[in-house]
Amino acid sequence: MDRLLALSDELAAAVHQSSRAVFAVHGRPRVPSSGVHWRPAVVVTANHTVQTDEDITVTGPDGRSLPAVVMGRESALDIAVLKLETSEVTVAEVGDSDTVRVGHMVLAVGAGPRASWGVISAIDRAASRRSESDVFGLDLTLYPGFSGGPLVDGRGVVVGINTSGASRHRQVAIPANSVGRVVEALLRHGRIPQAYLGVGTQQIRVPENAPPGVTQGQRTALIVVEVQPGSPAAGLLLVGDVILSLDGTPISDPLDLRAALRAERIGQRLMVSVIRAGQVLDVPVTVGERADRRR
Amino acid sequence: MDLDILADSLRRVTVQVARGNVVGAGVVWAPEWVVTNAHVIRHRSVEIGLADGRRAEGLVVAEDREADLALLRVPHLGIPGAVAAEPGRVRVGSLIVAIGHPFGIRGALTRGIVHALGPVTPGGRSWIQGDLKLGPGNSGGPLADAQGHLLGLNAMVAGGLALAIPLGEVSRFVDAAGVCPA
Repeated sequence: MDRLLALSDELAAAVHQSSRAVFAVHGRPRVPSSGVHWRPAVVVTANHTVQTDEDITVTGPDGRSLPAVVMGRESALDIAVLKLETSEVTVAEVGDSDTVRVGHMVLAVGAGPRASWGVISAIDRAASRRSESDVFGLDLTLYPGFSGGPLVDGRGVVVGINTSGASRHRQVAIPANSVGRVVEALLRHGRIPQAYLGVGTQQIRVPENAPPGVTQGQRTALIVVEVQPGSPAAGLLLVGDVILSLDGTPISDPLDLRAALRAERIGQRLMVSVIRAGQVLDVPVTVGERADRRR
Repeated sequence: MDLDILADSLRRVTVQVARGNVVGAGVVWAPEWVVTNAHVIRHRSVEIGLADGRRAEGLVVAEDREADLALLRVPHLGIPGAVAAEPGRVRVGSLIVAIGHPFGIRGALTRGIVHALGPVTPGGRSWIQGDLKLGPGNSGGPLADAQGHLLGLNAMVAGGLALAIPLGEVSRFVDAAGVCPA
C-alpha cells in the first residue's frame, strides 16, 4: 500500500480510536477543556482547567453530559481526577510512557474530536525534580481546549496528558505513568499522599575538611535547620546535621530531597547519611505521610 | 507515493495569481479553468503564473464574495485539472498537504493533519480545519490528501488553524456558474 496513504490512515485511526475515550470537561468559563476516561467512571484532566469544585459536567463523545465531582488534584503535575457516577463511554487504552523517546510521532487529541500532530521534542528530566515527574516537551500545537486531553502514539494508545499550563506557549504532556500513579493513589487512599521526614533544610557547601565517608564529588548537601516535633525525624535527626544522602542517593539540594521522597516510600525505613559532630553517621528514619493539606 | 512526487504533481495544478505585490494561489480545475478565493482577485483580468514558468492572462468569469470563491478562464492553459479526492475518505487525523506561495515563497509545500471537520463555532460555516501552517500567499491554493487529490481551497488562518473551503462547496460554485465543462 501507498506509504503516505498508509500513514494517513494510521493517524486517522489513532485519532478515532483514542477520541472514543475523550470527554469535554466544563470546569471553567468559556472554552471547555478535554479529559481522558482513565478508569471506569474516572476522568483525568488538567488541573488548571477545573476552576471550581462544584457544578462540573463532562460531555462524552456520544454527546451526553454527566455531572462530575473532583476526586483529587495534583497541582504539581497539573492533574485533576474527576469521578462520574457511571459511564458507558469506552475506557482509554493507556500505554507505558517509559518507552517514549524524543522524536517519536505523537498526536494530541481534543474533545470533538480534534487533533494535532507532531513529535516528542524533549523529555525534561530536570523538571522531574520539581514536579516528581518527567515532562514531555511537544513539537505540536495545543489548541484551545486541548489541555487535559490525551497525547497518543501512532496506534492511538495514551502516553500522556497534554497541558499548556498557565502559558499558551508551553506545550507539554505529563507522562501516562506519572498520571497513573496519581490515579492509583487516589483510588487506594482517597487522596494523594505526601511523603515527608519533617525537617527544614538549607543547602550548604560540603565542608572541605569533611570526614571520610563523604562521596567524592559531592559539592553541596543540606543542613538541618529545623526538626518538626512529632514528625518522623523527631528525636532522630538533629538541627545541625548535614544530610548527604538518602538510601545511597546523594542529596545536593532541596529538590533532590523532595524527589527522593516519593509517595510510594511512605512507611519505608530509609538510611539518612549525615555528618554529625565531624563523623558520618547512618540514621534510619521511617518516611511519614504529611497530614492532608488543602491544595 | 513519496511526498516529493506528491508535491510535484500538486505543484503542476497550482498557479500564482498576481495581486499587486502579493501573490495568491489558485487551482487548475479543468483545462483553461482556474478556481481561487474571491479575496485574491482585485480586477476582472489577472496575471496567472504557472509552475512551468509561463505567464498567462486570466479573466474572472464568476465570483461569489460571500463564499470567497472565484472562477477564472485562462485560455491555452493546457494543463489537466486537479484530481478530486474521494468524498468522505478524509477524517480527523488524516494527512493533508498544501501548496501555495506563503510570504512569496513560490510553490511551497506544508504538511499536517485534519484538525476537525465542520464549523469552528456552532452554527458557523463548515470548513476543513487543518493542523497545518499556512501564510499569506496560500489563499486559493490546493489542500490535498495523502494521494495528492484535491480536498478543498485554502482560504484563511484563524486561531492558528488552516481553514479550507471543502471541495463540495467549490464544485457547487463552479457548477452554478454554468460555463465550465465538468
